[in-house]
Order: sequence, then structure tokens, then C-alpha cells
Amino acid sequence: MSVPEGHFPEDYHPGSDEPRLNRPVHDRYPQIRATSGYADPRVTATGPGPGAGTDQQPERSAILTARVVLAVTIVIGQLWALTVATNAWMRGEVATAWWCTAFSAASFLVVLLAWRISPRDR
Amino acid sequence: MSTPVNSFEPDGPEDRRAAEQAALRDRISADSLTTRRDYLRIVATVSGGLVVGSTVVSAGVLHRHGDGGATPLKVADRLGHGEAVSFDYPGEDDRAMAIRLSDGTLVGYSSVCTHLACGVLWRRDQGADGDLYCPCHEGMFDARTGDVTGGPPPRPLPKVVMVEDAEGAVWAIGTARSGEDEQAGVCRELKGRNPVLAEAAGCADRKSAK
Repeated sequence: MSVPEGHFPEDYHPGSDEPRLNRPVHDRYPQIRATSGYADPRVTATGPGPGAGTDQQPERSAILTARVVLAVTIVIGQLWALTVATNAWMRGEVATAWWCTAFSAASFLVVLLAWRISPRDR
Repeated sequence: MSTPVNSFEPDGPEDRRAAEQAALRDRISADSLTTRRDYLRIVATVSGGLVVGSTVVSAGVLHRHGDGGATPLKVADRLGHGEAVSFDYPGEDDRAMAIRLSDGTLVGYSSVCTHLACGVLWRRDQGADGDLYCPCHEGMFDARTGDVTGGPPPRPLPKVVMVEDAEGAVWAIGTARSGEDEQAGVCRELKGRNPVLAEAAGCADRKSAK
């Protein structure tokens, strides 16, 4: 039977013949939480076809990972600054300790930026 | 949240308990609740905590040996060559020791390790002057200068300025911080206690008080 382009056969309907398979994702997979994230293929898989089962926007995922890596790296730098500040203060070099605190505060602002730069990026 | 497909309505305590067990099993087997955005929030919180910690340290919450001033204290009537005496100076939490080295030099140090605050011991048989040894993590300090010679301590030992009077009694008269010159430490304390006397003692020209 020939099917005109853009049309379905009369007896065709999207989805499955079994109603239980046509329920929303959350009903079919109660284990999936709202926080599971789009990286869960059960949430974002586009179904049969090219690219099915993969991230739909991998560049956004990479940016998020880069933000986490950047923030963790900065926190490691803050730990180092705290040891320098402690040593400086114990030696009586109070000015050096305050400079380390200023460095730590500036680092915190960068971490805040990395965190809040795109709060609605889902 | 909608109920699972095969859920059932509990009829009695047994069924209710079974339902709770099933719900717990379901929750445990669910996906991880910590996302990368959660990690970002956690890391940002830790970062803010480190800023607070650094501010508190710079503001002076940590105790330094000798803080609060030091008045002279007689620690021994006599201290022979190769002998040491331990005492608390200037406060009762400031453990210290005085050592008479084999050449007669009198030195004094805080006996609290600058690594993790364990007690420091003088090992007389290590070298000509012996060494100051922290048994917790094997930190070592030079007995003549207090400098770190080995192990993890990040700073030299704070000094206690020792003098001997005409009758041979040993006195502690002041303290010096890690890496600070003894005269600078005495001048710093004297400036805080009696600026006029400090100036008369020639401390005005010293660049000591940091």
C-alpha cells in the first residue's frame, strides 16, 4: 500500500499497541528521579533513529563538567592559600595572611561565577 | 510521585511493613541523587567556608607562643652543660624548654611542634649539640637555632629568650616567634608593654614588630 509523504496509514497510531508502554516516562520508570538529569538515556533518548540513546547536547554536558573541574581546582588553590596564611600568621607576618585571605575571597567569587553563570541551563 | 505498576494497597501491619520495605528498596536502587550541579553547589559552599576560615586565621584566632606578653621567670637555679629543663612560659599552655649546650650556650624553645603540636624532645646524643625531635611524625629541629632540619614541620620552633644572672640562675625573659630574631622578639614585647623603656633600650631603630 503506498503512503503519501507526511501521512500515516489509517490504522497507524504513534506509540505502542500496549497501553502500559505509552505511559509517561515517570510512570514507566519510577526509579528515575527529577534529579536524574538529562544524561540519563531513559529520559532523553530520542527513540529509534540516528543518535538514539546519546546525549542530545554533548557540548552543554562538557561545559558543565568543565565548570565542576574549574571549581574544584580553585578550591585546591584556596586550601594552599589557607596553609600559607596560617604559616604567615604564626610567624607574625599578618599582612601576608590578609593577602592570602584576599586571594581566597577572589577565588570564591570565581567559584560563585562558575556555579551561578548558567542556573537555567537544563 | 505516582505509584509503581505493581504496587498494592496495604491492608494490615504486615502489608504496610512490606510496602515500606519495597519503597526503601526502590529508593536505594534509584539513580544517584547527586548531580554535577549538586557538586558545583557543594564545592561553592566549601570555597566560602575556606574564605571564612582564612579570615578567622588572619584575624588571630590561633594561639601563638608568647602572645599576651611575657614577664621574666626564673626556671632553674643552675643548669649545667648538657642539661635541659622544661617549664611553661609565658602562659601555662606554652610548654617550653631551656638547654645548656655542650659549649655553654644557653638556648630556649617552645617545645610544641610546629607541625601538629606534639611535644618536642631534646636528644642529647644526636650530634654535637643534640637535636630537637618530635616523635609523632619524626620532625627534627636544630638545637642551636631552632630551624627545621627534617620531617614535616613547616616553621622553626618559636624561641624563648634565656639569660643567666650573676648567681648562675637561669631566667626566661621573653619570646620570639618562628624565624624571628631573639632581640626583635624582646623588643616587640617591650614595645607593647613599655614603649618608653623600649625606646631607651634602642628598640626604636629595630624593625621588629610585624
